[in-house]
Amino acid sequence: MERLQPCESNLAEIFVSIDEIRLVTENGQKGRGMGVREPMMGTASPVSLSRFLIVTLGGRYLALDAESVCGLLTVDECGSVEDPTIHGMTYRAINLVDLLDIRNDQDGTNAHVVLLSERDARGSIQVTGVEGLLELQQSQVLPLPMQFRGPERHWYRGMILFAQSIALVLNTTWVLDEQASATGGQGNTLRCAKAPKISVDNSRVC
Amino acid sequence: MLRSSQKHRQDTIHQSWQLLVFSVGGRRLAVKTRDVSGVSYWHEPIPVPSQTPFVTAVIRQGKTVLPVFDLAAFLHLTVQGSSPLCLRVKHALGEMAMCIDEEIPVLHACDPAALQTYQGKDLPTEGSYTNGLDEVPILSISRFGSTV
Repeated sequence: MERLQPCESNLAEIFVSIDEIRLVTENGQKGRGMGVREPMMGTASPVSLSRFLIVTLGGRYLALDAESVCGLLTVDECGSVEDPTIHGMTYRAINLVDLLDIRNDQDGTNAHVVLLSERDARGSIQVTGVEGLLELQQSQVLPLPMQFRGPERHWYRGMILFAQSIALVLNTTWVLDEQASATGGQGNTLRCAKAPKISVDNSRVC
Repeated sequence: MLRSSQKHRQDTIHQSWQLLVFSVGGRRLAVKTRDVSGVSYWHEPIPVPSQTPFVTAVIRQGKTVLPVFDLAAFLHLTVQGSSPLCLRVKHALGEMAMCIDEEIPVLHACDPAALQTYQGKDLPTEGSYTNGLDEVPILSISRFGSTV
């Protein structure tokens, strides 16, 4: 079992096996599996590397900063619960389709729920599919072209070249803020610091 | 004598406006060649959820990602042809792509004396010229995607 992500370095302990998640490369080839927060052993890297979980939604690639990803569940594992609650911590569902005003008519057989956390805010988003993890230099994150001059400038942190296409780097801070304001701040009421250890083995909550 | 004639011709060329004439939805439009960075085949755009009018996609050409200005939607037209073209234009905010009809664009040298004020108000232009019965607007690229 590999450690996917602690919400904050000394806060929640959430473990996820990511056997099904593969390290993907820009040309879409799958490499070896790797945990989002797998320790970087060996030679110290002279450049800072960032890791992104690449997901699909409505036929688009989205990149989620792995630092904000707490866990990954299948839709079946979530059951009929709208807001996944794991050991007392509620990850309120955030409807990205509505938030981004996109049409999602994709097949949902590979749908997953991604648990997100930043500081005190938590939320969950349902995505059509999970492509895998991508590790790259921060300089490889391209800025959104300046011609995009509406509120979408807050929605994305940039773009990543991915699989002959691009993946939009979702601004998870904005996503969680939107969820918090939509729920009157309820999404911020639980602190990760009190979270118990949770194991998610092969995307299953144990 | 020959040199003088060539110089005169070059001066004339330099004084005239070098235009690239293309069409969108069958409507003929022009743009200054100095505002054009290339014409290539159009590839399926990548949608980007956005609230900027007419800028809701990008195209990827190699490692370059360009925003797409949907000129056809702006003009309430539909691009014609099964193999549309990509017009890359230079813009103060960066290069931009537009999908145009598959009809191959042509170069046109326009005498400044033939330039006139564009009568329509549907497009930001730098003027227009008359070709037969058609008034061909010359697009003001700098005003697309920033004020439009």
